[in-house]
Amino acid sequence: MSSVTSAESGTNLDIKVKHLTRVEGHGNIVVNMKEGVLEKAQLEIVEAPRYFEAMLKGRSFHEAAIITSRICGICSLGHQITSLKATEQALGLEVSEQTVLLRKLLIHGATLQSNILHAYFLAAPDFLKVGSVFPLVGTHPEVVVRALRMKRLANDIGDVVSGRAVHPITPVPGGFTRIPTAGELKELKRRLEEDMYPDLLATVETLKALAGAIPRFERETEYISLRSDDDYALYDGDICSTDTGRVPDSEYLKMTNEFVVPHSTSKHAKVGRSSYMVGALARWNNNHDRLCELAHTAAGALGLKPGCCNPYMNTIAQVVEAAHCAIDSIAIIDQLLDAGLKDEKPNQEPTVYGTGVGATEVPRGILYHEYTYDRAGRITAANCIIPTGQNLANVDDDMKKLVPEIIDKSKEEITLHLEMLVRAYDPCISCSVHMLDVDFIE
Amino acid sequence: MKIFAVGNSFFGDDGVGAAVLERIRREDVFPGADLIDVHTDALALLDHLSRGEMNVVVDAAEMGLEPGAAIGFRPSEVRLKINSDHLSMHGFGLAEAFDLAAQLDRMPDDVLIVGVEPERVQINQGLSAVVSDAVPRVISIIQAEVQSNG
Repeated sequence: MSSVTSAESGTNLDIKVKHLTRVEGHGNIVVNMKEGVLEKAQLEIVEAPRYFEAMLKGRSFHEAAIITSRICGICSLGHQITSLKATEQALGLEVSEQTVLLRKLLIHGATLQSNILHAYFLAAPDFLKVGSVFPLVGTHPEVVVRALRMKRLANDIGDVVSGRAVHPITPVPGGFTRIPTAGELKELKRRLEEDMYPDLLATVETLKALAGAIPRFERETEYISLRSDDDYALYDGDICSTDTGRVPDSEYLKMTNEFVVPHSTSKHAKVGRSSYMVGALARWNNNHDRLCELAHTAAGALGLKPGCCNPYMNTIAQVVEAAHCAIDSIAIIDQLLDAGLKDEKPNQEPTVYGTGVGATEVPRGILYHEYTYDRAGRITAANCIIPTGQNLANVDDDMKKLVPEIIDKSKEEITLHLEMLVRAYDPCISCSVHMLDVDFIE
Repeated sequence: MKIFAVGNSFFGDDGVGAAVLERIRREDVFPGADLIDVHTDALALLDHLSRGEMNVVVDAAEMGLEPGAAIGFRPSEVRLKINSDHLSMHGFGLAEAFDLAAQLDRMPDDVLIVGVEPERVQINQGLSAVVSDAVPRVISIIQAEVQSNG
């Protein structure tokens, strides 16, 4: 653990924020400064191991995406699409242009939903210093209702294209088992234009009023995301680093280098530096030139500039991205309708049996799946690297720079800054199990 | 009538709601009822809860009872603990969804929660035997409620 001397020597600070995250796992913020020397500043993660490989070994190529989509209730679609891509590459299954467009539409819906929920339900309460979204219902009901309306439309994109929003069922290796109708897509387009567009403009106005509460903290960081020549890369592309440029996704192990640390059951990752960041801010820094006009307008209004290295601005990058996802969804629907929807059957005839890598931008950053199949079409080896794991080392590095910079503030303010920092990364600490916790009233 | 399942069927007994819906669908126990599995997206209940009809929500619940115990209750009869960790969206469950629904005046009068005490909630496992045995009892609780409503 490296030590950092604070601006004001002689300061002592001891912060331990414990966050219970339901049944599965939890994350604690631990900061310790003794006589002005930072001894510890880290996010401790304790969660049950996933045994990803054990879960998939021996499973057929039809099952892989179904199983992996259930690992996480929040990131379900991302796991499913990434899994399908890995399987298709390993088995040489070509997919049609229509399949790619429908998958891009699904990713837009999932990204839109996740980014909007994060901005409204987690970040906005921080900016307003109200602790959680619940007090906002009393003071700003129209804002909460707007957030829920946007979430619902984003969900409905998933429902129309994939059958179900959280655990999509129609996307399978090689394509879709059901193609949405032209009428369904036209209705989505109408709602995106008539409902989502004004809601996005209102969202930018709401956040503009709150942007002053975003801490001014900067740390030069390596940002890694997908990058494509064709579009704002979410579905596919090369792996692109702000430090070292582009490599194909087959080289993902070189761009992750997982390692174990004592304070986390999740592995950390690094490339050229001690850490790197993935997620909306990384995508913005690498791909802002590929965003639509509305997204650029939003970025301008919210003060997000290329080369931004303030991790708290990740929330702003998410909102900018949400605008892009909504507008590009309309463009994709137009493309699908112009080409005419074809009732294609999924291509499930393997041409090879080997190893394949899927890399997709999910809301929290790049997600990688890699599978090796035997000649019976069963998985013999599997690997999965999730975005939150890739960000953990970067969160620790941010904390090490941040704490000495804000050491003059009260312990409560320092704690809030640290919590806001962790929340800005939108971490997916444990897979969700939504059990009720009930006390019967006597 | 609407019957909702909340939970992740990939995490052992958290999948009890989905198992109940599946049985109802297979045996056509409540013809005409809307069967809606919101999985782990409990906030989606806000889009579906409806006034003027019965809303039943089936979920695994830590009630301090024996594993497999199934109880039907009204939201007003219990204190649902708000557990949102506030570090991620993962904490948003049924208690949080009901709280928002009530505050936004979207909570229907007629809501029955059927909670099932889980035995195990672990990844990559199916229902435990005791919770699997509880599935028909959950359906009986809903049937009794329908009959008492006449």
